[in-house]
Amino acid sequence: MTVESLNRQRVLHLLDAFAGGDIEAALSCCTDDVDFLTHAPIDVLPHMVPRHGKAELRALWQTVWSRYSEVRYKTPHIVAEGDAVATYMHTYFRKRGNDRVVQFDMAVFYTLRGGLISQIREIIDSYDLVQQVLEREIGPLIVGAPADGA
Amino acid sequence: MTEHSLWRFSRALHRAINDRHFEDIEALIDEDVEWALYGPIDMFPFLGARQGKDSVLDVIRQLADNFQVRRFDRESIMLGVDSAASMLRYSLTALDSNKPISLRVAQFAQFRAGRLISMRVLIDTFDLVEQALGRAIHLPKMSSVG
Repeated sequence: MTVESLNRQRVLHLLDAFAGGDIEAALSCCTDDVDFLTHAPIDVLPHMVPRHGKAELRALWQTVWSRYSEVRYKTPHIVAEGDAVATYMHTYFRKRGNDRVVQFDMAVFYTLRGGLISQIREIIDSYDLVQQVLEREIGPLIVGAPADGA
Repeated sequence: MTEHSLWRFSRALHRAINDRHFEDIEALIDEDVEWALYGPIDMFPFLGARQGKDSVLDVIRQLADNFQVRRFDRESIMLGVDSAASMLRYSLTALDSNKPISLRVAQFAQFRAGRLISMRVLIDTFDLVEQALGRAIHLPKMSSVG
């Protein structure tokens, strides 16, 4: 088995563990100094700040699971090369509050070290994500607003 | 060693956007290509899903009409046999306003016989909209629902 196929399996294992709600199993796929960064508006989604180390990542994932009752992924594209794996995912998060499903696509780039995930970088269609989280369109809020934001 | 299809495609794409030279990119796109560049299409009509070479070329022409690529850096890249994934940092100029726009982009490409058959692109679109507006969008903090 090649390094690439092993690393691909490791990433899929992490995703399965997280989607199954087993945060500790997901964390066991990561190095102690795992580094997490998502490119999203942290003033709107404050829990999505950069995280460093397992304790901070655990706190993030616990926050996510406190708000969503179901997490599902489809991974139509995975590319692996050496110690890096990239996934393009369709993701579904069911809100605990009202059972609505937040559905968005996400690109995640993983770096592995010694068979464990040491770096996670995410890119999300964040405008759409914020609209779904807020359950309202942002467009009417910004159209016609003064350019200085006053 | 044969050059990966991504490099040819990337060169041709940038030449199309910056120099409006579309012949090279046209030859590298499959007739049945699937293309998705998600984001707010009411603000950016060239975003969204497209099917087929003509539709994709139309998007590339619209990108050339609206932007100039000043610089791009590949922060991460993975090459498969007929696939590629990369995270890029783009520095663009919006041609209508001459405003600089800086974007982080994730790109997933699949090729067949050297031609693009699928492209999925994700952008931090909230950041893109704020840059296009030239100001921050003030929304309530999602302390309990987001």
